[in-house]
Order: sequence, then structure tokens, then C-alpha cells
Amino acid sequence: MKAVRRLRPVILIILVNIIGFGLLYFYKKPYDNYILLAGLAAIFLIGLGYSVIKFAKLGDGYLFLIAGMLSSMGIIMLYRLDRDLGFKQIVWFAAGIMLFLVSCLLFRRFRIWERLVYCYPLASLLLFAVTLFFGRSIKGAKNWIIIGQFSIQPSEVIKILFVFFVAAFFKLYEGKFSEAEVFRIGKLAVRPVHVLMAVSFLHLGFMVIQQEWGTALMIFLVYFMLFYVFVNDRLYLIINAVLASAGGLAGVFLVNHIKIRVDTWLDPWKDIAGTGYQITQSLFAIGAGGFFGTGLGLGRPDFIPEVETDFIFSAICEEMGIFGGVAVVLLYFILTYRGIKIALSIKDQFTKVLAFGITLVFGFQAFVIVGGVIKLIPLSGVTLPFISYGGSSLVVSFIALGILQAVSAGPSGKGET
Amino acid sequence: MEKQNRRIIHVLIFMSFLFLSIIVYLTYFEIFEKDSILTSSYNRRQWEKEDTTQRGSILDRNGTVLAYSKGTGSKQERVYPYGRLYSQVIGYNSRAYGKSQLEAKYNNELLNIWEFSPVTGLSNLLKGEQKTGNDLYLTLDHKLQKKAEELLGNKNGAIVVMRPKTGEVLAMVSKPDFDPSSAKLAQNWQEMVESADHPFLPRATQGLYAPGSTFKVLISAAALENGVGAGIYDDNGSIVINGMEISNYGKEAFGKIDMTGALAVSSNVVFSQIGVALGEKNIRDIAARAGMNRDIPFDINASSSRFPYKTMGKTDLAAVGIGQGRLQVTPLFMAMLASGIANDGVIMKPYMVERVVSPNDTVIRTAQPEVFSRLTSPEIAAQVNKMMQSVVETGTGKSAAIKGVKVAGKSGTAENELSGIQKNKEHAWFISFAPADDPKVAVAVVLEYGGSTGGKAAAPIAREIMRLSLSEG
Repeated sequence: MKAVRRLRPVILIILVNIIGFGLLYFYKKPYDNYILLAGLAAIFLIGLGYSVIKFAKLGDGYLFLIAGMLSSMGIIMLYRLDRDLGFKQIVWFAAGIMLFLVSCLLFRRFRIWERLVYCYPLASLLLFAVTLFFGRSIKGAKNWIIIGQFSIQPSEVIKILFVFFVAAFFKLYEGKFSEAEVFRIGKLAVRPVHVLMAVSFLHLGFMVIQQEWGTALMIFLVYFMLFYVFVNDRLYLIINAVLASAGGLAGVFLVNHIKIRVDTWLDPWKDIAGTGYQITQSLFAIGAGGFFGTGLGLGRPDFIPEVETDFIFSAICEEMGIFGGVAVVLLYFILTYRGIKIALSIKDQFTKVLAFGITLVFGFQAFVIVGGVIKLIPLSGVTLPFISYGGSSLVVSFIALGILQAVSAGPSGKGET
Repeated sequence: MEKQNRRIIHVLIFMSFLFLSIIVYLTYFEIFEKDSILTSSYNRRQWEKEDTTQRGSILDRNGTVLAYSKGTGSKQERVYPYGRLYSQVIGYNSRAYGKSQLEAKYNNELLNIWEFSPVTGLSNLLKGEQKTGNDLYLTLDHKLQKKAEELLGNKNGAIVVMRPKTGEVLAMVSKPDFDPSSAKLAQNWQEMVESADHPFLPRATQGLYAPGSTFKVLISAAALENGVGAGIYDDNGSIVINGMEISNYGKEAFGKIDMTGALAVSSNVVFSQIGVALGEKNIRDIAARAGMNRDIPFDINASSSRFPYKTMGKTDLAAVGIGQGRLQVTPLFMAMLASGIANDGVIMKPYMVERVVSPNDTVIRTAQPEVFSRLTSPEIAAQVNKMMQSVVETGTGKSAAIKGVKVAGKSGTAENELSGIQKNKEHAWFISFAPADDPKVAVAVVLEYGGSTGGKAAAPIAREIMRLSLSEG
């Protein structure tokens, strides 16, 4: 009896997959047996990941299931939009789960992570430089690196490196954050808070140069929340807020890209054939779905531009309804809640900041893109974690989740009882 | 640590708020916003359905076809056999310019789109048959509509004809109008959008005019309710209230008259005094019962009539007493007001789509008469009815009289933004109903910037419409 009850969330995910892939199978003639195979593969992968967590006693049992559910919805939707994309996404999903387990185990096995303080921003800088000099532009922004057949979006990695840096940095100056001197310039003592701000705004600067407004916004939100929680100095919190508001306002008035996005957000109907096209198509899709959706395969999400990546939430709303969309939002909310619950229970400063930071990355990223495509906030392109098509996004999300999973298992050595 | 955890909780609360705002916004969007955006011509979905469904027809109460689709699939063409006649009611259905009026509001019915249509449509899909939409049967009477259009001629304005006891709209004409066929729209679009005549403004439902003396009907009802205006007034042709001079049309002096006489001759001197005597509360009260400042639920968008005063001074009360000041009403509203007096003080909710009928002749939906508002008691309504009859018998509404039928009416000649600076720019109004002892038809006529009085210009139009309507039974 108890075993059955504990299995229930897993069974729900399996059910969603069976229904989703089953519907896809019957919708398209001639019947495509690969669809069933893909469904089985997805179910197998989720079962595999879940079993490993359970049998190796790797901590929180829900994190992986939530991610698995989100990924399942993504794969089903992508399969429905384009068979090849769906298939590729399953391959990435498999890779993601492997890397999830590997990162989870590596993180627990080695204890050097908190000592690599300045290595993280250096790595970010390196990635940034590589993108700048060898990067390829896809859709206007130069933010991809091509290696062989693969294209990687370094900003996906940089945001996690940033969280690592902040966590290690807080650990380094734990208990002496306001008094310690990092170094001196003449008579001027440079405090940790200055270094933290400098490095953070440097990261923001990277993103702005690469025109990744969404990631910039997200990194700022994560940084600001971490600052609020872990730095006691309220004056500097206000300085941060003022600096960011000034930067944001300057952006709105001076940077044409941002100005257009804000104008489009305020009134997309003015230039419906031009700048407003994407967002209005997204709104049509959401409106067409109604509360219950048109049904899988019965809507026209293919009318939305970039539907596989940034706008996949609108496709979900069209075919699975507002209720489907709300379900996705609630899944992110539970993920955030579980992550924060883990962060609350930890005493060690490094892992605490890390768990909290990673959770914030997931939560804010989901908010920034979902809020954008429903026109709650100005649209800025970031991927929807675990759902959007894309290797970098999916794999990095799973690696980050693996670390959160590792942290949830408690201090290594003790947790495995 | 304690402090950090407390702040982490703050962040959790903040994030909960963010996620909640998404859910609230989505729900809000779904309930309030989506209907107005889905009909945009940039939404390719609506044509998607159009391509696989034969769009339903629109017919009048006797089965005359007013709009139908020719051809099949993506080659369908919307045909309006009567051209401009129904352009301000049925609207248009064009791939390039979207949909308007009934074509927009009843799009789902015309294309038979509803929550479970994927399930019911499955058999058609398997048989490979083209789906067929539903037909709309309107309460409009084609003969009456045509007559109303002819009577309006090339003057700008509107005519609304209703059945007072049910709220059925029998005819609704707005001028200027336009040719709603897709080809003509494409040809004339730019010119019409920029035209100072605003041909896309459906005057009958969205045109806002000062009601002028027709508003005295409402003031009379309020006066009777509150025992005001019972005595005899001495009318010298003009009066000064708080420094503002109010005079009768042409400064005519009517001498000693009571309220019934004052309504018949449309005395501004008397009714401005009654307005002041009634006071703010009573006037505000009856305006609210008439449905001013309130949305009128109707089959096409209708503007609400405006009673915009925050507070009212004596001059405001005097101006409202004669239907001037900042009051603004739609022709539909005035037809409803006339209907309310005719129907023992009860205003019925107006409607125009009588029933929705599926291709296999099943009636999917039938409109039921509903009460919109209770204007006044049956006794007061009967008294106002009598007063309105004397307007037609002896007063300014004589040209609305029909031999052998008791007609009740009220004229209005409304000052407006142009009449102040130019001569002969007043709006001419007439509202009426007949037969007065058992009302079957109510009419509101407005002629924009006509420069003639309501009694001379608008009343004969109302008479012809009532006569035709009554002869049809």
C-alpha cells in the first residue's frame, strides 16, 4: 500500500506520456510507429532517473519528477510541431538525464567547488570572449558557439557559473562580509561587497553586449534576491536598486532594441504586421485555446513564430488550454518551492546559496518568458527551462538540477544512510 | 542563519506573487480580452476554419436572406444582396479587413465553432464532407428596414424601430453607410477610414447626441413621481436661471400653461424650472433607472448613454430639464426610453438575433424577452403616455399623427457643438409609439445637423414607419 502511494507521481507522469503520445499516434495518418517508440523512450528515461535517485538515496524525490513532467510536455508538444525536433529533443533529454546523474554524483564526490571562487567568473569571461570572437549570430544576436555539429549558447552556462561564484564568494567571507578587505588601492579598502557588485555588473554587461536582454534581466533578479538575503547592508541594496533602475531606464530611452520591446509591450496592435507580429500571434494562440484548449494536434500553433523555443508556452495554451498553461506555471512554482525548502534546511553557506540561487534561476527564467509571451511583461527571449527545444538549455537545466539534487541529499558522507 | 531564512521566505512570497500574477492575468485575458482580439484579420486561425466550413446565412424575421456565402472552401465569397442597407448592423466579413458587427459577434455561431465541435466534427472529417455553419434569424423586418433607409435618404442620422413589449429590434438604420462587400471595402477602405463623415460609426448604437426636448419625457415622469410641476406656469418665452438665459424655440411665449401643455408645445421655460425644482437626486435617480451610464447588453456593441455630472448646480439642472447640457444618448437608448413608457414603465432588453438554427434545422438558441430596467410605475407611465399623445394631437408632433390610430410622441431639436457657431445645425429628434393604448411599435429618429425642428423633419419619418409597421400587423 505504502509503495503504491509513493509511486503515484511517477504513475501520473507515465499516464501523461501515454495519453500524449497515444493521441499523437492516432492523430496523424499513416500511423507513425516512431511516435510510440519515442513515448516509450521518454517513459523509460524518467523511470530510470527516478529509480537511481530512489535506490541511491539521492535526496528530494520530487525535483526530478517535476522536471520529468515538464520535459514530457515539451517533448510531446515538440513532436506534435515537428517530428524531427521531437526526436532530437528526446536525445537531448537522455543526455540531460545522464548529465543530471553525473553532475549530482560529481558534486557529492568532490569538495573543491567552494574553493574555486574566482575561477567561475574567469570561465565566464573566457566563454564570453570566445563567443565574441568566434561566435555565430543566430537570429540577430551573436551569442552562439559552433563546435562541430553542435551549437552552444554560452549564456546558458554563464548564468550557472554566476550562481557558483556568488555562493563560493559568500562562503569565503562568511561571518566577515562587511569587515573583510579583499585588497587595497592606496588608502581605499575594497570590501567584499564591492567585488561582488563589480563581478555581477560585469556579468550583466556581458549579456547586454550580447543583446540577451532576457538573460540580463534574469541574472539581475537572481543577483538582487541573493544580495537581499545574504548581505546585511541595506544601503548597498538600495544603491543596487538605484543603479539597476537607472540602467534600465537608460536602456529604455537610449537603446533602440529595448525601446521597441517596451513600446511593443504597451501596444502591440500599432505595428501588428511588424514589431507586434510575434506577440500578437502568441495572444491569438492563447485566445484560440480557451480554458480547455483545442486538443492536441487540433490547433494551429505553427502560426506562431519561434514556437519551438521562446513561444512554446503559447502552443501549450492553445492546444492544452489555459488550464494546461496554469498547470505548467504551477509545476514551476512547486519546483521553486521545493528548491527553497531545500535551501532553508541547509546550514552550510556555500550549498545554501547555491541551492537558493539555482532555484531562483529556474523560477525567474520561467517567469520572464511566460510573462513575456502572455504580454504581462515586455518580451525578452529566454528559453522555458526543461520545455523549450534546445540542447544547451535542456542539458544545462538538468546539470543545474543535478546539483540541486545533490545538495538536497545533505552533506556527502552523512546523507547516504 | 535565522535572519537569512526569514529573508528567503520573503523571496518565496515574492515569487509566489509573480506566479500568481501569471495565472490571474491568463484568466483575465481569457475572460475579458480575448473576444475583442480574436477577430483581428491578422489571426489566421479564423480563416482556417472559414476554409473548411460553409459560413452560415443571416436572414430577417420572414426568411429574407440578408447575407450568405457563395462558393466553397477558401474561395468562399460573402454576398450581401441588399448592399449597403445592412452594413451598420450585419457589418462585413473580409479577409483583408477582418469582421465587424454581427459577422464578428456571431462568428462562432456562423462557423459552428464551440467547445466540443472537434468531437462532433469528427464524423464529417472522416467522411470528408465540408462542415456547414449555423444560420442566424434576426428580428429585423426587411420591408421596414428598407422603408427606414429610404426615409432617411441621404441625410446623416439613424432610425431605430422596436417592439416595446419584447425588445425586438424591427429595423435599425444608420447613415452614412457603406458597401460591405470585400471588393468594395478594399477599394474604399482608406478613404472611409479617413473620412470626416465616419462611415464606420454605426450611429444607431454608437452615435452619441444631446437628446434635446425628447428628454422632457423622462423629466415629466420624474416630475409626476415627485409631485413637481402640478401648477400653472406663466411662460414669457424666456427665463433667466442663475444668470443663464433659457428660451423657447424661436422665443415663442406660450402664456399660462400646465405641464401637459408645456410638453405639447415643448416649453423650455417650464421644463427648465421643473428641472431645478426636481433637484439633483430625483433627476439622477430617474436617469439611472432609464439605464444611463450603464452598458446596454445587445447583439452588437452599443455605447452607454452618458449622464456625466459629478455634482449639479442650478444651471445644470435647468439644462438637463430640457435635455441639453452635457447629456449624451444613442438613438437605441431613445427607442428604449419610448418603449419603456409604452410598456407600462418597463424597459425591455433590446435584441436582434431571434434564433440560431443549425444546418439540419435544429434550433440551437432562441432569444427570450428580458427586462432591462424598471423605469417607472405603470400609473406614471400611463400619465406620460397621455401627455405624449397630446404632443401629437395638439403640439409639436402633429405631423406624426396617423388617421384612426392614437399616436404618442415627442419631438426634439438638440443644440450641439456646431449649432452654437453656425445657423441651422441642430439635430432633429423624434421618438414615438403607437397605438398609444396598446403599443406595438416604438420609433426613434435622429437627423444629424439637420437644421430643422424634430417636429417638422423627424416626425413625418416616424409616422411613415409606424404606419407601415402597423399595417403589417
